[in-house]
Formats: sequence, C-alpha cells, structure tokens
Amino acid sequence: MIANVAGQAADAVRPSGTWEVFGQRLRRFEVYLAGAQVEMTRGPLVVEGVGLRVIAPSDGHLTSGFQATTDLSPASLAATLESARRSAADSRSPGTVAHLPTGSGERSGEGVCDPALWSDPAGALDRYRAALLAPFEGLTDVRLSFGSIRATLAETSIVNSEGLDVRCGATHVDVEVAVQAFGGPEGRAPGEYWVNLVSRRLDPSPLKGQVETWARFARDVRRSERPPSGDVPVLFPPDALADILPAVVSSRLSGQARLRGLAPEIGAKLAAPDLRVLDDGARPWGHFTAPFDDEGTPASRRTLIEGGATTALIYDVLDGAAFDGSSTGNGHRGDSPVGWDWRSFLGRPVSSTSTVVVAPGTGGTLDELAERAGDGLLVVQLGFPIPDAVTTVFGGELRLGYRIRGGKIAGPVRGGTVGGPGLAAPGQPSLLANVTGIGSHAELAGELDAPPLLVGSFTVAGA
Amino acid sequence: METLESHEDDFTTVVHELSARFPFVELLAERSRGAGARLNTQSVTALSRPTIQGAAIRAWSGERWVESASSRLDAASLRAAADGLGRARSDGRPTPGTSSTTVGRWATRSARPLADLETSTLIGLGRDAIRWAKEVPEIREMQFEGSWSEDDRLYVNSAGARASQRILRGVAVLVPIAFRDGRAESAYVVRGREGGQEVFDSVTEPTVRAAAEQAREMLGAGTPPAGDMNVILDPGACGVFAHESFGHGTEADQFVRNRSYLAPLLGTVLGPDEISIVDDGTAEGGWGSSFFDDEGNRTQKTVLVDHGKFVGALHDRVTAAAYGVRATGNTRRADFLSRPYVRMTNTYVAPGDWTKEELVEEARDGVLLERAMSGVEDPLGGQMQIRVHRGHRIEHGEVTGLVSSMALSGRVLDFLRAIRGVDQHADPTFEPGSCGKGSTDLLPVADGGSFVLSRAIVGPA
Repeated sequence: MIANVAGQAADAVRPSGTWEVFGQRLRRFEVYLAGAQVEMTRGPLVVEGVGLRVIAPSDGHLTSGFQATTDLSPASLAATLESARRSAADSRSPGTVAHLPTGSGERSGEGVCDPALWSDPAGALDRYRAALLAPFEGLTDVRLSFGSIRATLAETSIVNSEGLDVRCGATHVDVEVAVQAFGGPEGRAPGEYWVNLVSRRLDPSPLKGQVETWARFARDVRRSERPPSGDVPVLFPPDALADILPAVVSSRLSGQARLRGLAPEIGAKLAAPDLRVLDDGARPWGHFTAPFDDEGTPASRRTLIEGGATTALIYDVLDGAAFDGSSTGNGHRGDSPVGWDWRSFLGRPVSSTSTVVVAPGTGGTLDELAERAGDGLLVVQLGFPIPDAVTTVFGGELRLGYRIRGGKIAGPVRGGTVGGPGLAAPGQPSLLANVTGIGSHAELAGELDAPPLLVGSFTVAGA
Repeated sequence: METLESHEDDFTTVVHELSARFPFVELLAERSRGAGARLNTQSVTALSRPTIQGAAIRAWSGERWVESASSRLDAASLRAAADGLGRARSDGRPTPGTSSTTVGRWATRSARPLADLETSTLIGLGRDAIRWAKEVPEIREMQFEGSWSEDDRLYVNSAGARASQRILRGVAVLVPIAFRDGRAESAYVVRGREGGQEVFDSVTEPTVRAAAEQAREMLGAGTPPAGDMNVILDPGACGVFAHESFGHGTEADQFVRNRSYLAPLLGTVLGPDEISIVDDGTAEGGWGSSFFDDEGNRTQKTVLVDHGKFVGALHDRVTAAAYGVRATGNTRRADFLSRPYVRMTNTYVAPGDWTKEELVEEARDGVLLERAMSGVEDPLGGQMQIRVHRGHRIEHGEVTGLVSSMALSGRVLDFLRAIRGVDQHADPTFEPGSCGKGSTDLLPVADGGSFVLSRAIVGPA
C-alpha cells in the first residue's frame, strides 16, 4: 500500500480552484566504502513532503504558483498553500487553459520498482556491497579506493482538482566507485577510473564483468598518452553519450525551448538522415520511467527526430497550455543540469525528457564502427561535458579514451579536450548532424538508451 | 509553524538519551526557506523556495559513523529515526578526533535584510532588466533570476556543544540571448553573496546592457584555438582553478583514503613565489561563508599554498586526528539529508604583483579564458578541466579576436609550475557557485582570484 501523502495534505488544506498536490514518502539507505571497509552507513533517512501548485487563468494568460514543504502540520500546509497562491498572483505564463490529467488508483509499471530492494533495503545493499567487493579480492594492482551505494524507495502520490488520485512505488539507485590502479615501477603515479551508475535496481549480476572493465580502464589511465589534435572521427559509446544527448534534446526539443525561440521548426533537418530519436517514458528501468509523470500524465513514447528531421517536441502541462495543447507526459521534477534530486517533491515540474532512445542502426559493433572510422578517437569518459542550454555546445577533458588507428582500437589516451555543438541549426555541423555510423545494439545508460555513434568529424585538442 | 528553537529541548534530550548507547552523538537540525523570481520575455515565475526542515543524527559505533535522519523534529520521531542506529560495540575504538564544545548563536547581519525583500520588488527589477537588454539589437530573449535563501542550522552534541546560526544569501543571474541567422548565443552574469539586499544593487542598466552587448558580440565569435598554448585565466576562471583543480586535492578525507596526488607533497614547493591559494570560511559576504561547520567547529581562514609552498590542508575531526592537527572548520553537509564531507568554503588565488597588460605582453601568443562556467576535480590523477563561456586570442602581446566557449585541460602540477605571473588586482571578487562531492551533495561555495598566466591545452567545448 503506497502512502497517500498528497491526498492527506489535500484533505488538510482543501484547496479551491485548479490545483495539484505532489506528495512523497521517501526512505533512503546509503553505504560508503573506503577500500573494502565500510566507512559509514546511513539510513533510514525518512522524508515526507509535498509540492503544492495552484493554477488559474487571468486576463488571457495563466498564473501558477508552487511551494513545497517537509513540515506536514496543518498550520504549515495552510501556509504552504498561501505561499503558492501569493506566488501565483505574481506569476504569468502564456496560455489560457491548463489541461490537468485525470485518473485514479495505485499504478505500477514494468521496470519501475526493484522488488528485492523494496522488501529488504538494508539486505539488498549488503548483498550488492559484497558482490561489488568480491571481484576486487583477487586483484593485486587494482582496488576500490572509495565508493557509495545509495538507494531510494519512493512512495509517490498525486492528486489534483480534476479528480486525479494516483500512486506508485519506485526505486532509484546510484552507485559511485573510484577504481584505483597502483603499484608497478617505483614512483609511477596511480590511476583512477571513476564510475557513476544511475539505475532503478540493485542488480549484482553484471558486477563481475563490470569490475573487470573498470580495472582495465584504471590500468589504462596509467599508461595513457595525450590524444592528437584536429578534426577527426570520434566514436561515442552509450555511456559517453548519456551525459550529453538527454540534455541536448531537453534544451532544444521541448516546449520551454519553443517558448524561448530555441526550438527548431517541425520538419527542420538537424540531424544525420539515418537518425531516429525518441522519448520513451515507459522504457523498463529507465531513470524517469513510471506509469505517470510527475504531473500524473500517463507515460508515453514519442518520436522526436525521424530521418534526421524534427517531428515533435515534448511538453509538460504549462508548456503545453502555452501552445493550446496538452502535456506529452514529460513533466519532471527534481531535475537539474547537474543531476537528479531524489527529493522530487521539492521542485516544480519542468518539461524534460524521460529516456532518450536512439534507434539502433546497421553499423554493427564498436569494433566495426572503429573499422569504419579508420583513424580517430574512441571516447570512454569526458569530465562533466554538460551541454550549454542555449548553444548545446558540450565538451570537456578526455578522462579516458583510445586512439583508433587503421580501423582498430589502439592505445589509451587521456587529457586534452573533446567538444562542440550537440545540435545546431539546419546545415550547421554538430554531433547529431555529423553522425556517419549507428551501432546495431543499444544499451541503457542512465537517461539514454542508444547504440554507439560514430561522428565523422569532431574537434579534439591534444598534443 | 515550527522553528528549530521550539525543538531545542527535544534535540538535547535525544542526544542525551543516545549518549547512553554511543560514546559520541551529534545532531544537526536544519530549516531553510527563501523566495525569488524568474522572468523571461514570455513568463514570470514567483519562486518560493521550499521550506525544508529536519535533523541528522550521527553517532560513533566504535568502528564507524552511523547516521539517520528525519524530517519530523519531535522527540518521538527522532527516537524512531535513531532506532536503526543500533548500539556501539563495547570493545570498539574511541571516537576519532576532538569533539566541538562550541556554544553560541550567530546570524547574518544586514541593514537591509533579505527576508524583508518583497517578491514584487524582484519582479520589477527583472522587468527592468529584460527591457534594458531588449533595447540592444538582436537580443530577443533574456532570463533574469533573483532569489534569496535563509538557512538555519542548530548543532548539539554529547560533548556540550550547542550552537545555532542563520545564514542569508542572495543571488541575481542574467542571461541575455542574441539571435542571428539561426544562431543563438548568450552571456551569463551572476552576482551573489551572503548578506542583505545590496546584492541586487549590482543589477543596473549599465550592467545589463553590457551583458546584452556581450551576448551580441558572441554572434560574431570565432572558433577557439586548439592545442597546447599560453593561457591567461580571468579572475573567475582563476577561482575555478583554485577550487576545482587545486582545492579538491587538499581535502584531507581524500588523503586518508589515499586518493589525493597532493598528500605526499604537503610541505613542498609546487609553484613559483607568485602563487598563494587560500580557503576562507569567514570571508565577509562570501557565498560559502558560515559561522561554524557541521561538526560544530568555528570556520577559519586556511592558507593552502603560501608563495608557492603547499603548507595546509582542509580537515574534519577524523583527518585532523590522523594528521595530528586541529580540524579547520570545513566539515559541511549539503543539508540534513546529506552526509558530512570535508569541503571548501571560499577559495581564491591571492593577488600577485603584475598588471593584466604585463601578463598579456608576457604571453605574446595564446588565449585569454573568460567567464568560467564549470570545473571538474581529479583528486587522484591531478588532471584539471575548466570550461569558459568565451575568450580572446592573444597575438603578438595584444588581446585580439573574440572566440567562443572553450575547455582547458592539463596537469595541475604542470600548470602551477608554469605560472609566470599573477595580476595585482586586490581583494578577489568571489563568484558564487555550487560544488558537489562526486556527483551529488551540492552546496554553496565561492571562488575568486586574479588574472594568472600559465600554459595548458585548450580546445572548443
């Protein structure tokens, strides 16, 4: 039974007019590791809170006000409602009618909740910790130097003035691990590969293979050279694209971007002709996957780019209202350019992507794409490459990559920078416009489900 | 409505009860609120920062720290949250380090308190700012955000500490956007400080027009150079170097995890006499300033690099004990739901004795990096990344063409050794920002500095 925090808060304050209450009961469990030792355990961290929004038409536009609180006393809730009303009085946005969703009941969806984590969070963290540490035990030159495993169990409820009354339970997990390679010749500096996994479940089964890969990356950091400089073919695997594409799509293909004059016209050819990009709110185990979005609109799947041309944009309720339309199920809270806030109730909804899906192509495996690249660069990890919200230019230091020489993945490289626009005006070069190869197999990486992409020409600054 | 003070006896009672199960217990309660406004040409949004309250309880189990937290502040809820902490081992190790005994109450003081600021005043300022910006040709969009926050923290521990503080911070952000032939470019101006309403006095017609002109100029910006070259960082980018590139390696929790390339270099000379780097949690008006940290220790000024020599690190109670020094007042939680880490506060490069013009002439050729946007730490590997919004080429000892956004990369130690001069610009202007440890736990920090000349790899980003 999912706690109906929103319903209880609404009953306490009985708002009038058009309103929405988003409530959560959150339990969080955390384990911090220093080497193989537990440095700190935290939990349960228990938070209950609501975000309360009021919306009203006024003189040909809409007013809306939002306030959130963790203080659920009747006096505090009344003050929260009053604060939202005062905010609404000072606010205005385009549109005349906000179409709030309807429906009721406890909902579930595929790949939303990890049942083992839900039923025994402390035990699930313990089992995952053991499975994470086990592969390191046999390694003499690689260790886990620092790490954290953090799991959130969220009971979300939304009620609104149109009769919406929905609830669901969901799990979220983030794992950070510093994998350190050391030893060898006297005086040689250790190397580190930083892992940041964002997921919906604590699944220990892939850890053995993952640790082997991370250990190889950490060792390769130590023997890496500087990348070359120039405009070269660059191969981006899904993990490297996960920090880039969802933010690019949200900043350009959303109702908010359209309002600010940054969105392309429908039909504008911005991307490579073979590229198909979707937003999928129901992708099992996707970061934002849920039976409904944070405004209660049912999750959906929508093609945003087809044949390289823009086919649709994403909207939340208010951005939809600005264009006489409805939400596409893309009202998300707790989202920020630098990471997701597990306390979603603290934020008002904004239109952003759910899981960005790039349809697989015919380019084959990573090795086959490298063969097509000839001479270039495979990016494994960039340092904080978050795209600029106006220009979509992303980039940063190459934390680890590999040279591609003669069509083969060769020695490791590190340092220097890789960057450029993610999505530009028609006819202008960008990551998505310059795609010349699309891998045949997609992988889920955070908020992205994509195959590797080969970009025919991208700027690398190195030696 | 509840206040922290109304639960102070509950906090003391719960800490006292738990001290029967643990050798040391501390409780940090927090309540924060705020307001503001965000405007663009299409919409006006009055912002009401959420009222967040709750308490974190930390205890020493004899072998590790254990924590729980609750958003309900009554004694029964706190006891329930603490139930999961268990009991300390009777044969466990003693609590590491020295416990705070700080007692006192502090608050940000201002003749014009931020909490008295009406949202309608900020909306009026935002409307003015948008109007001023749109008078500049090709500026079709502009975002203004002005907001303030009030963060109350109350700390109690089983060693007798009982301290409270109220910190008020205000910030204004201007983002004018220029359009031409399908190209969009922006400028980004941020002003923020601990204090009162005076932070918004900096949003004037000349400031806004200058920002709008910068956005317009960016429409004609060229492609930045790529490769290894002489670089001059402006004060903001220099501050990001002080914080992200260097400062994270001085957080001593990374020392004890064997995760800092700087740990074995403490006491050695890392750079020329020109360079000094400081962290100062007491800096007046600093975005990262506070009166005490989240272990109850008073904040302080800590010199990290003194004329090229690496002389100091930032410590919590655990690392201070490991290194035989005192904690430096740098233990911070993002909020009551976040764990404490060793964190920076206001970090800056101290002024040198060059002028900017002398630095440009000394560089001869290279690039001037301006308007820092972000940086990334690499405490073990010692690599650095600084992204800037714009810059200028330096050719034949002169500042020449405007170029678009760039990233700087290199090894921190190489960058330090290659420093050839620091501008004499006095009193660093702190730029407000937020810093995470890993990918989460964002909290307010500031950084600053002067123009500095060194060498690094630069490329478009």
